[in-house]
Amino acid sequence: MAATAPALQQDDTVVFPRRRRRKLGVYGLLVPAAILMGVALGYPLVRQFVISFQEYGLRQQFGQPAEWVGLQNYTDLLTDPYVWTVIGRSIVFCLVNAAATMLIGVAFAVLMSRIGRASRITLQVSLLLAWGTPVLASMTVWQWLFDSQYGVINWVLANVFGLEDMAGHSWIIEPLSFYFVATVIVVWMSVPFVAFSVYAGLLQVPEETMEAAQLDGASARQRFWNITIPMVRPVLSIVLLLQVIWDFKVFTQIYVLQRAGAPTRETNLLGTLIYSYSDEFSLAGALATIMLVITLALTGFYIRQMLKEDEL
Amino acid sequence: MSAVTTPAPTTLDPAPRKPTRSSEAGRAQSRGGRRALGVLAVVLAAMWVFPIYWMINSAFLPLNKLQTPDPTFFPTSGTLSNFRRVLEDPTFWAAMRISLGVVIVVLVAALLFAFLAALAVSRFRFRGRKGFILTILVVQMIPAEGLFISQYQMLDGWNLVNKVAGLSLVYTAAILPFTIWMLRGFVAGVPIELEEAGMVDGLSRTAAFFRITFPLLAPGLVAAGVYGFLQAWNEYTLALVVMTDPAQRTLPLWLQGLVESNRATDWGVVMAGSAVIAIPVIVFFLFVQNKMTSGLVAGAVKG
Amino acid sequence: MKILRFAAVGVAAALTLTACGDGDDAAADPTDAGTPEAATIKLWLNGTDTPDALREYLTTTFESENPGSKLVIEEQDWNGLVPRLQTALGSADQTPDVVEIGNTQSPTFTYAGAFADISDMYDELGGDNLLPGFVEAGSADGNFYAAPYYSGARAVFYNKDAFAAAGVEVPTTLAEFTEVAKKLQTDTQSGFWFPGQDWYNGAAWIYTNGGDLAVQDGDTWKGALSSPESIKGLEEVQDLFANATNAPADSDSNEPWVPFNAGQSAMFSAPTWARWSIDLPQCNKAVDPDDTSEEAKALRGEQQACNEEHTGIFPLPGLEEGSYANGFAGGSNIAVAAKSQHPELAKNLLRIMFSEEFQNMLGENGLIPGNTEYAASMGDDVYAKAAVAAALNAKLTPAAEKWADVEGDRILEDFFQQLATGADVKEAAAETDQLLEDALN
Repeated sequence: MAATAPALQQDDTVVFPRRRRRKLGVYGLLVPAAILMGVALGYPLVRQFVISFQEYGLRQQFGQPAEWVGLQNYTDLLTDPYVWTVIGRSIVFCLVNAAATMLIGVAFAVLMSRIGRASRITLQVSLLLAWGTPVLASMTVWQWLFDSQYGVINWVLANVFGLEDMAGHSWIIEPLSFYFVATVIVVWMSVPFVAFSVYAGLLQVPEETMEAAQLDGASARQRFWNITIPMVRPVLSIVLLLQVIWDFKVFTQIYVLQRAGAPTRETNLLGTLIYSYSDEFSLAGALATIMLVITLALTGFYIRQMLKEDEL
Repeated sequence: MSAVTTPAPTTLDPAPRKPTRSSEAGRAQSRGGRRALGVLAVVLAAMWVFPIYWMINSAFLPLNKLQTPDPTFFPTSGTLSNFRRVLEDPTFWAAMRISLGVVIVVLVAALLFAFLAALAVSRFRFRGRKGFILTILVVQMIPAEGLFISQYQMLDGWNLVNKVAGLSLVYTAAILPFTIWMLRGFVAGVPIELEEAGMVDGLSRTAAFFRITFPLLAPGLVAAGVYGFLQAWNEYTLALVVMTDPAQRTLPLWLQGLVESNRATDWGVVMAGSAVIAIPVIVFFLFVQNKMTSGLVAGAVKG
Repeated sequence: MKILRFAAVGVAAALTLTACGDGDDAAADPTDAGTPEAATIKLWLNGTDTPDALREYLTTTFESENPGSKLVIEEQDWNGLVPRLQTALGSADQTPDVVEIGNTQSPTFTYAGAFADISDMYDELGGDNLLPGFVEAGSADGNFYAAPYYSGARAVFYNKDAFAAAGVEVPTTLAEFTEVAKKLQTDTQSGFWFPGQDWYNGAAWIYTNGGDLAVQDGDTWKGALSSPESIKGLEEVQDLFANATNAPADSDSNEPWVPFNAGQSAMFSAPTWARWSIDLPQCNKAVDPDDTSEEAKALRGEQQACNEEHTGIFPLPGLEEGSYANGFAGGSNIAVAAKSQHPELAKNLLRIMFSEEFQNMLGENGLIPGNTEYAASMGDDVYAKAAVAAALNAKLTPAAEKWADVEGDRILEDFFQQLATGADVKEAAAETDQLLEDALN
């Protein structure tokens, strides 16, 4: 936030004479991205929205006319208690995952800023590996790690920690345990992004300020809470916002784990529920809109706050 | 400001300044305490990397060593045959070519367009600026699982089904919002004074931009590029419907086919396939990591 | 790339030709009613079930019977087939002309209007000799859209040594099967490998006892799991889950031979081609799978013979001695896409697929041909006998328009898993019936 504001003001004031021409040029800079997004992302999104007010299924896909049904799809979904259960689950899952990811990510970032070079690079490389491995590949291996018959996790629990009951234990058959496994995987994949971004933010805290505070007698803890955290707050808020958005619509991890043998209905989150409306496109569209509204409700206050403070 | 303009360090360890300086400053924390934290970091690193290790370990094992009650922790009597089966498979190389093609097109297009847009939103104030930023944020909130029908019909209308160009078009559009979002922080971090100083020295505006600003932006572009690379490399749902011709499969589709074509699912081969798909990404990561971490540093203020 | 160009040329050529009115090319086959213009048509086959030799036969035969035309076969993965069909079948440019579709997926696409009506070909393709359940799955509103391609029936493989050790014989009734399985069951060996989500095998108990998954009542579908017949079968299923298997409740019917090979189960049920996956330790000759020398081939032959000597197979028995169970049949249908630009050529291809020669080739490769008249081509070894016996008594999933939703929601996987984890049969069945009704209507 400190970085943009001056640049912007300077731009508007210093180069005043060319202002008018520049203004038009600004839109020129936006055109390529705007056109591409409008066509290849905007159009499908709008169409999905339109379809959500129609009866549009497989038959319509093969040429039958789509009827307008008004809010029928929305009322169908919102009067189904199961949909509400899934919404509730998704919110809890999202909040727990975002919180866990942030806590661990920030802890890792702080740790990185306090350790020697060798151990820091070790930690960074392993985080990079976790981050860089394609989801499909890492999901395959996670599935294999938690496998009830041949999984190494059960083996270690049974043979190293002596928990013999864990041999052959199924991790994904109970919903709670299923979500635990999913959380482990999602957090594992998301922590690197948070850790690197926050670590980068920590490096921005000027040494001078810290030293001055130290001279003033502030303890390490006080310095952390009163100087470091406020200074990295912009990074924290944006990273948290993104985590909430991403975790709320989590799909791949849940889908792969369900296919590994979990009870589907009891473990559905909104992402997998939408996907299961595979040939009722209008319902999928309506649910996508509902998800957008919920996400906005979850983050709206926060976004407004960020807009006000010019962090966006 | 000063921290931002510091030229990007060139190692994985972007700024070793802080810890050393703070210990110089006579920090009370003992050397022993730091060593303990270092050990903790290495333990955590081992935990985090274990799944990746396990993937590679399993890739070296024959099936009869994988599906046994007692796991094999080190592939000491391992076999290369899983990797051989993957690497000798012509369909793997075909898929690799398609995936590389898609990723290159997507990266070039997305970075260029996103950069221009980021320049607009971070350097200028104009009507609709906040609206644009909000739009690219909100767009990311909509789940993509139900979009494939419309996207397919659109590509079909333009005769772009089963074509690298078609898939790349949709991927580029899909990653643009986040890329713009990420880049605008970097662009904002490069002070305009430097560029203007260059212009005072007689450079044209364009020349000043490319000679002065652009090099400072490179780490940011790399950091954003990594994101785009991962998305385009891994995407499955849309590729599934767009690339139906077996000759046009991307790597995730190829991996899915590999799982299925082994009637008795041979996990060793699947792990080898997964590892081989991961390698280009990891190489790309390690190759650009110094730029990327410093890129994240530069963009940190804006996230 | 090449394939694509051919297809594009074909489409373009066809368009110009249609524009000029009826084709009057020299390449006419006098036996055909019309004379379709030469073009390239596309056939989608799924997975590796259709062996390469059969694909080659189709291409060469089609191209020689339809001079100037080409057949391109594109192999699709079963996993992910549905979204591909949803999109590609709706596009005139991209649609495959002929598609293979899983029998449980068939009703959904048939009702949606994705396929061309081929009622006029019904008799020509085999008429009443076509596998009846599959015909039903490929028909809608009295019209015939998707013909039976092949079926893969399930039979029970058993370890002869384990049977001898436990002193049991091959069971002759379904009740006896449960008894035998329980006798074979120990802490380390499953009597019968029966994972919790394996409704493909579990459905046999429902069907054999006279029950069903869902039944049509006028215009609506009703879940039928709560019927007394179904409940009886389901109670036997739960008995097996509780007392005759160590298989995990979170697995499905994939790879049942793995525990069998490891000595962890004495019986498993699978399509008969599973014989090639049996690899008992006492028979393993440790041949490198990449080794193609004569010696290695001989060793592999020995290994297979040894495996088959220690392994037996029988069709799951029915309620009474000498009868067979009504198991669930896997397999697929084959249809002409409604949007195909070359329906006549596509139909010519169907004619080849239902010719005596091709049907026999399917049988020789261990697939039960769509036309039962040619079932004899399966041969008469124990595997073929078990497969044919099982196939003739097989039953399919209800031919409901929205059956694909039941599979998409994995309702039956969840239900059987509940049984495996000890849920009350009647309660679980009633709840699942409700879910089935919600999905099907």
